[in-house]
Amino acid sequence: MAAYTNIVRRAVGQLTGHGGIKGFFVQLFRANDIKTGALVGIDKYGNKYFQDNQYFFGRHRWVIYTTEMNGKRTVWDVDGSMVPAEWHRWLHCITDDPPTTHPPEPKKFLAKVHQINLSGTLNCYVPYSTTRRKIHEWVPPKVGEQ
Amino acid sequence: MLSCLGCPTLSRVLSTGASRAPVAMAAAVASRAPVVSTPTCSQNSMTLVRYNSTAQQEKPKKTKFGPLADQDRIFTNLYGRHDWRLKGAMKRGDWYKTKEMLDKGVDWILNEIKVSGLRGRGGAGFPTGMKWSFMNKPSDGRPKYLVVNADEGEPGTCKDREIMRNDPHKLVEGCLLAGRAMGARAAYIYIRGEFYNESSNLQVAINEAYAAGLIGRNACGSGYDFDVFVMRGAGAYICGEETALIESIEGKQGKPRLKPPFPADVGVFGCPTTVANVETVAVAPTICRRGGTWFLGFGRERNSGTKLFNISGHVNNPCTVEEEMSIPIKELIERHAGGVRGGWDNLLCVIPGGSSTPMIPRHVCDDVMMDFDALIQAQTGLGTAALIVMDKSTDVIRAIARLIEFYKHESCGQCTPCREGVDWMNKMMWRFVKGDAQSAEIDMIWEISKQIEGHTICALGDGAAWPVQGLIRHFRPLMESRITDFAQKQQAHA
Amino acid sequence: MLRLPTLSRALAGAAHSKGSIPTSNNVRTSVRALSNLVEVFVDGMPISVEPGTTVLQACEKVGVQIPRFCYHDRLSVAGNCRMCLVEIEKAPKPVAACAMPVMKGWNILTNSEKTRKAREGVMEFLLANHPLDCPICDQGGECDLQDQSMMFGSDRSRFAEGKRAVEDKNIGPLIKTIMTRCIQCTRCVRFASEVAGVEDLGTTGRGNDMQIGTYVEKMFLSEMSGNVIDLCPVGALTSKPYAFTSRPWETRKTESIDVMDAVGSNIVVSTRGGEVMRILPRLNEDVNEEWISDKTRFSYDGLKRQRLTQPMVKDASGQLVNTSWEDVLTRVAGALQGVQGSEVGAIAGGMVDAEALVSLKDLLNRLDSETLCTEEIFPMSGAGTDLRSNYLLNSRIAGIEECDHLLLVGTNPRYEAPLFNTRIRKSWLHNELQVALVGHNVDLSYSYNHLGESTQVLQEIAAGTHPFCKVLSQAKTPVVVVGSSALQREDGAAILKAVSAISQNARASSGVEEGWKVLNVLHRVASQVAALDMGYKPGVDAIRKNPPKVLFLLGADAGCITKADLPKDSFIIYQGHHGDVGAPMADVILPSAAYTEKYGTYVNTEGRAQQTRVAVTAPGMAREDWKILRAISELAGVTLPYDTLDEVRRRLAEVSPNLVRYDDVEEANYFKQANELSKAVNQSLLGAPLVPPQLTLKEFYMTDSISRASQTMAKCVKAVTEGAEAVDEPSIC
Repeated sequence: MAAYTNIVRRAVGQLTGHGGIKGFFVQLFRANDIKTGALVGIDKYGNKYFQDNQYFFGRHRWVIYTTEMNGKRTVWDVDGSMVPAEWHRWLHCITDDPPTTHPPEPKKFLAKVHQINLSGTLNCYVPYSTTRRKIHEWVPPKVGEQ
Repeated sequence: MLSCLGCPTLSRVLSTGASRAPVAMAAAVASRAPVVSTPTCSQNSMTLVRYNSTAQQEKPKKTKFGPLADQDRIFTNLYGRHDWRLKGAMKRGDWYKTKEMLDKGVDWILNEIKVSGLRGRGGAGFPTGMKWSFMNKPSDGRPKYLVVNADEGEPGTCKDREIMRNDPHKLVEGCLLAGRAMGARAAYIYIRGEFYNESSNLQVAINEAYAAGLIGRNACGSGYDFDVFVMRGAGAYICGEETALIESIEGKQGKPRLKPPFPADVGVFGCPTTVANVETVAVAPTICRRGGTWFLGFGRERNSGTKLFNISGHVNNPCTVEEEMSIPIKELIERHAGGVRGGWDNLLCVIPGGSSTPMIPRHVCDDVMMDFDALIQAQTGLGTAALIVMDKSTDVIRAIARLIEFYKHESCGQCTPCREGVDWMNKMMWRFVKGDAQSAEIDMIWEISKQIEGHTICALGDGAAWPVQGLIRHFRPLMESRITDFAQKQQAHA
Repeated sequence: MLRLPTLSRALAGAAHSKGSIPTSNNVRTSVRALSNLVEVFVDGMPISVEPGTTVLQACEKVGVQIPRFCYHDRLSVAGNCRMCLVEIEKAPKPVAACAMPVMKGWNILTNSEKTRKAREGVMEFLLANHPLDCPICDQGGECDLQDQSMMFGSDRSRFAEGKRAVEDKNIGPLIKTIMTRCIQCTRCVRFASEVAGVEDLGTTGRGNDMQIGTYVEKMFLSEMSGNVIDLCPVGALTSKPYAFTSRPWETRKTESIDVMDAVGSNIVVSTRGGEVMRILPRLNEDVNEEWISDKTRFSYDGLKRQRLTQPMVKDASGQLVNTSWEDVLTRVAGALQGVQGSEVGAIAGGMVDAEALVSLKDLLNRLDSETLCTEEIFPMSGAGTDLRSNYLLNSRIAGIEECDHLLLVGTNPRYEAPLFNTRIRKSWLHNELQVALVGHNVDLSYSYNHLGESTQVLQEIAAGTHPFCKVLSQAKTPVVVVGSSALQREDGAAILKAVSAISQNARASSGVEEGWKVLNVLHRVASQVAALDMGYKPGVDAIRKNPPKVLFLLGADAGCITKADLPKDSFIIYQGHHGDVGAPMADVILPSAAYTEKYGTYVNTEGRAQQTRVAVTAPGMAREDWKILRAISELAGVTLPYDTLDEVRRRLAEVSPNLVRYDDVEEANYFKQANELSKAVNQSLLGAPLVPPQLTLKEFYMTDSISRASQTMAKCVKAVTEGAEAVDEPSIC
């Protein structure tokens, strides 16, 4: 019985634990999930890290991304690279010690400020082609050069 | 001499057996149909002579050849003991009644040469009278030339240089007579570049003859204009091949031309040309003077006349000597060269006709005669009649390897079998010298030599293939034992 | 190189004297006329051949191929590879089939034991020192040695000694040499000295050390040098630009026509993956035999550079920017509609096909304009282009072989039409052709009588006062060729008049039959004859005098008209395939297909119509010329009545039927009339000497938009001026 009660309590907590109806839907659409858990910490960008060990391993730690990061609105356009390196290891169960309790050693190869991932955008990096171009087209002379 | 190696008879016999030779000769005559008319008439006249003189008809067949009597020698200053200049030469009978001989006309000269049975002395042994008469075709406006092949480069051969050094007037007079016989405008004497003294003597003789009015405009007062030019080569053995010689005279690379067209059609500077050996040309005046029948009296049938023999190698007294054709090889060596070093029993083998002919071992030498047909039967050739005698101290494989190296160095590189094949044979022969080979490779080098022979433009390929074939034919056991010795030594090392 | 007539005459005589019929000189001709054929047998099959035929030719007649390396139809016989050895029944030795004339009754055994053994032996020797680097050899797949060793060689090698190696030579940016592979067939040497007429190549050393080379390292300076690549039976001479790019079995071959000069050489375009990999010659006895010039062969990389791939239009700042076809076509149509017919003009360039020419002409005619010009000038006074015989190479290229006296006027055929020059050289070498030249003293690769370069000489010959007239009057079959470059001058009409008079005099004095043509014009560009056939006005005078508001440049890249010749507000349309001279001055650029990318009809200088075929698709948005013009006509409201290539060609046939009679030359013979008409010309000759624009090899390489875009051609120019080492690249292999 107690088990059923617990389920019901968790369900109610999930429905109400996101800040009302609006919060619930925002959470549902942003994360495709409504699970609640213990807030382990918030990083410097505002990403919130949760943990609930009742979930199956691998689903027991998660992040709710911040809504604005380095001047970019990230309400809907989120990216896995937004997790900073120190939280990444906790989030992916490389360690059980969150950076809140165990501050990481500073490493010079770690980015100080997060850089937005440009993959899939117009500005994304494209390696130069190693195949020879079959046709070199004519480039008209610039005006005033002649 | 190379020109001779083109000898149809020799190569044929070596490749296909002796029986074909007369057929081939007849074919050669038939293929030149337009010119046969002259020889036929002359043969008729010869038959007439026979009918009249019964003595000749009943003359018993000669069985003993040599030694040559002193009065029958053509080259009377072979050793340079007398004056070689015009004065001395005239004393010895050169230029005697040359005008009269010229005045007797072309047919008379040709007839005398034909009657004499003179065969080319360069080595191929083509009947000279026939060769010269090829030139008597109706003229198409081009001048004709006589080219004298004095590019004597064959290892072992040193007969022409003696003529040019000590009896140059014989050659100059011969040029005039031969030139007259073929209606040539001029003679080019292509002399080997290394023969410096010979060419100067020859040039002096030519200058003397010009000064005496013997050649040049209105030669000997006969009304016939004839010039003689000396052309010095640059030291390539291949330039002794007649077409390569022609190319060289024209100032091109000395590389043999394809035949046909034969030089008699398209020769030097595109004009009809006959290339003749020095000795052939030099004996012509004496034959004309003393008569063809006199010359015919020496040697066996079809191998008539006298010949210069060079004997070198392991003999007590190496020499150049004029002897009767068909003299037994043993007598030639014993009589003139003082015998083989260490006695006849010490003889290992003889190369009878200059380096390009196959060698014959001692047991063949015992009774073979030095003439064209006898040596062909012994599976070799008369070539230039330059005997290279080797006694039992000789490493015969090494000797042949050295000869092949010579041919490899002198190959012109024009046609594939000679260029690639001789180089290959050379590499193999030097391995055979050490014994560093398989005995199966003896068959292989035989096959390679067969692949070269008869497949090239000129006869140098044949000349390179024959010594190897001669070696394998007669000394195969030696080669095999050397291979096993080497293998054993290798095993002992290992 | 010696001239060969005496030799060949002697050879003919020799061949006769060996026949069974005794002949003397005076009856030889009659005997030949009687066609006394010699009967021989090839493997028992009887065949009658002419006396003097070689064994190899006789075998070929019955369809038996004899393997060969050194023998080549168009070169002298060397007979040194010995691959063609065949057994003759009853002959003691195998004979070299390429050199041995057949004799009566011979039975040639092409597949006997002895023959096969001889071949196998020669093949073994050839392979002895040949490197086995077929996998990295560019000749692989089209190598005579490879093929013949498969066919006739042994299945294993017995050669265990060390192989010979030869140093490679640098003979210029076109030909790559890997001399270790050389089998000393000397085809290249003979080609250089006989066909190309440059004594650059030769053999040095002897025996196994024999090498082919230039002795001192220098460039193989010839406009025909590329042909040695085709001639080389092994991979010793390969193409440098083509090195390691493709294999023959990967490429698709398209038979086409060259447009680099007016000869119209027949070519094969090898393509792979939509890219031209190389260009090879195609046999056409009447045009190029089997040679092509270096420009034809190597300028294909120009087809891949400086291409117009997108329609372009000038924006407000005057910068050409890419746009779409809809945009440019409406702009062009609008421009054409916005002006009077007389205010529209067009200039056609040198590489335009006849289909485009007729479409453009129809389009402008429908717009009521007659201002259609070509870049090349041809004097219009006198007969002008009305009589077709006036502007053709009437004697034909092959006809040079029948001619005995040739007078060249103001031309350098060696660089203006290399294949034509090769024909002259061939005739000079074998037929005792006498050549005379009025014009600049240039090296034509054969000796000629230089009469001087002033126009005065021309006048004297025309008047019959020059000493050369005596020579010309001896001619049995005279030919006079005037270069199109000489007619570009202001006194072109006077030159043509003088040449016409000379020709007419020569014809009269030679007493040659009516069909023989004396007067010839040697054009320099491929499109000219077709354009003149269609009634284009030669020269851009009309446009210069009366500048149009809308000017249509159809591949016009010679720079005859510049912006300065036109009013400021004129609208220039450039349609073509290369951004060269014409494109930068245009307001609108319509990208079109080059000659390898379209079906096009070209009429060469003889008046021979030939067609190119599509080898690759046109790059980017480029389209065939006539299709673009057809699209414009529709938008401009004057739709041209043809939608397919066949319909365009039907229209071509309507205009001039000869344009679609492919590979055929239409006779034209109105010299008398032309000469009469030319008498009306009262232009006087100028004092300036007759100097053709291409004098030396370096001026040969870059003459049109394709070759100017070609890097290979640029390298050639550099190598010719600065020496072959200047462009030496580190060899890859």
